[in-house]
Amino acid sequence: MSTLGLLRTLFNSKIVTPNAIQLQSLNRSPFLVGLFFNHEQVRTMSRVKRRTTHPPYWHVLKNNQRQDEKISSDNLRFVREVIQDKYKNKSPIKGSDLDIEKKEWDPKTKRSGVIARNIGVQHMWEKDGKKVVCTVLHVLDNHVIRYVPPEEYAKSIIGAKVFRNRKPLGCLVVGAEAANPDRFTRQYCSLFNEVGLLPKKRLARFIVTPNAVLPPCTPLTAGHFVVGQAVDVYGKTIDYGFQGVVKRWGFKGGPASHGATKFHRRGGTIGTGRDKARVWPGQKMPGHMGSERRFCRGLKIVRINMKYNVIYVKGTVPGPTNSIVQIFDTLLPRRKFTEAPPHPTYFPPEDGTLPQEDIWDSNMHVFGSPSISV
Amino acid sequence: MLRRAVLQTFRQGLAQSFFKRNAVSLSETTVTHQPIETSDEADEKSVSKQKPGDESGNTVVVAPPEFRFMYPEFLPDPAMERRNRLKEKLERIDMLQRRSVVEIPEFYTGSVMAVTVADANSPNKFARFVGICIQRGGSGLRAWFILRNVVDKQGVEILYEMYCPLIQKIEVLRLERRLDESLLYLRDALPEYSTFPLDMEPERRLNNSVVPINPLKVKLRPRPWLERWERQNLQGVEDLNLPQRFYDKAEKVAKPWEKYDLMLQYRKTIPAEEQEKIFADVHSQLQQQEFKRKIRRRRGIDNEQ
Repeated sequence: MSTLGLLRTLFNSKIVTPNAIQLQSLNRSPFLVGLFFNHEQVRTMSRVKRRTTHPPYWHVLKNNQRQDEKISSDNLRFVREVIQDKYKNKSPIKGSDLDIEKKEWDPKTKRSGVIARNIGVQHMWEKDGKKVVCTVLHVLDNHVIRYVPPEEYAKSIIGAKVFRNRKPLGCLVVGAEAANPDRFTRQYCSLFNEVGLLPKKRLARFIVTPNAVLPPCTPLTAGHFVVGQAVDVYGKTIDYGFQGVVKRWGFKGGPASHGATKFHRRGGTIGTGRDKARVWPGQKMPGHMGSERRFCRGLKIVRINMKYNVIYVKGTVPGPTNSIVQIFDTLLPRRKFTEAPPHPTYFPPEDGTLPQEDIWDSNMHVFGSPSISV
Repeated sequence: MLRRAVLQTFRQGLAQSFFKRNAVSLSETTVTHQPIETSDEADEKSVSKQKPGDESGNTVVVAPPEFRFMYPEFLPDPAMERRNRLKEKLERIDMLQRRSVVEIPEFYTGSVMAVTVADANSPNKFARFVGICIQRGGSGLRAWFILRNVVDKQGVEILYEMYCPLIQKIEVLRLERRLDESLLYLRDALPEYSTFPLDMEPERRLNNSVVPINPLKVKLRPRPWLERWERQNLQGVEDLNLPQRFYDKAEKVAKPWEKYDLMLQYRKTIPAEEQEKIFADVHSQLQQQEFKRKIRRRRGIDNEQ
């Protein structure tokens, strides 16, 4: 068996995280790395397409082609009234309204995640004066659209891949950012017909255990999370476009002076010439950089603002400012919940009392409190 | 009508910013005391200052235009890719919260200040440093300023983050401005220009309503310097006495068209309408805090008596 074939069989094992769909990733155990890769680049992922500019083929066409429709202002007003009538506000779902019997939380429960927007970075300080860079995540108007039970989800394209060797779990489809139905196609709006909600700009799937199911139309807010817990944030990294080898792969390039002719930021040699006598697949070269799916794991929540639905998370998050990210409870085993979180999600108290507006982690210095004296 | 008025104020604001910030234009006019009203004066004025009414007929309270020089860190970073209104609003709330605990006074580059910081390694657990502010920058909670002094013949510069909770007290010992927005050339100047006694007392100003501009021209040490000062159009520096080739090269490298580039200025600043909104929002809170502090001070004096 050729070296490449051996490598392929060894590294075809799928490491798929339970809460999201991930492409095949390599098993980089230190033993195997030392055995095979102390002098070679890993090239088996070279042929996998890492990004596309189009959505998957099973998705419904989403955006309408904007046509310059010459409607009179009266007709436009009428259309708006029709839309308002159709999507009249529903009464908020309370905890006691849950159809599905509220099952108990156990450490193996997987709760829903939340769609948020990364609105920027803010500096905060801990109680000993240490500065901490926190990312501000604004939880958008999330609503549960539908629930796909485990048996049905295991038959779908993605579900079959994810649960090939494991017990299947259910899938919650959550939408965020309601928008005018005019900009979407009829097929896309039909996805929201059952629920009776305004169509959402963004949809996401969250894998949940059956005891964490939420009925359709349930709102998800910043209160879904607990201050001090660890979260994983999924986002698409900053798009750098077509980049050269120095920025993309960290090559050193060539000398700036000392007579170097036209060799300052180039890659240099791309092969040996003898062994294999061709360029190996996966050779690092210039190309598109960024706009890739990435997870930042184990970020700690240091502050939640319930009034504005904003979460402050310690550290940074993939993607540029004002991009959409997804937030889940962490899968890192040592940072998981030991006590029950708001399960299946947070519902405002039924006696009408407002929750505490700004909740801080015990380690953080609150801005209105006196200066720190060491 | 309103739009024209706003455009006018924007252009005036631009002109003002040119006058105050662009040191080149300052030299062309006679150097006079350009009065910048202090916070006291501004507070008195602002109570009565109201826009001549918007369409609905309600009067709109507007902060005085000097606010964008007195509190520049409330304006966000103008880079459009990173702006978000909600985040700026939340940051401003946090900044005002911090200001309610510690008085962060109005200061400019060239003012002499004293900062007391909590320090675990100091004998008293507090460290006090006196120095001249040579540069200030940052927006929001990241706002910072650098203080410079010469201690035991060693030049020392400390960068302080204005909203860091370790800062116990910020005092302005001498409130004044210089001819330049950045005094980094003091690093290459004779040490007497950066030396200030560490036990300096706060100076009382004769004319409380105007922040004076100190027309001091500083003497630089002989070359080599840290930067090419001849290329920077410095107003606060004495004649550099360099050979002509330096000035020729400086002319070659200079970008004299930038002062006519309106779009460049536009991209570097927040539009006037937004500035008005931000400062109107912030102004009432700052007034309240100032009022509470005055009461506390008066009560303190009464208690002493």
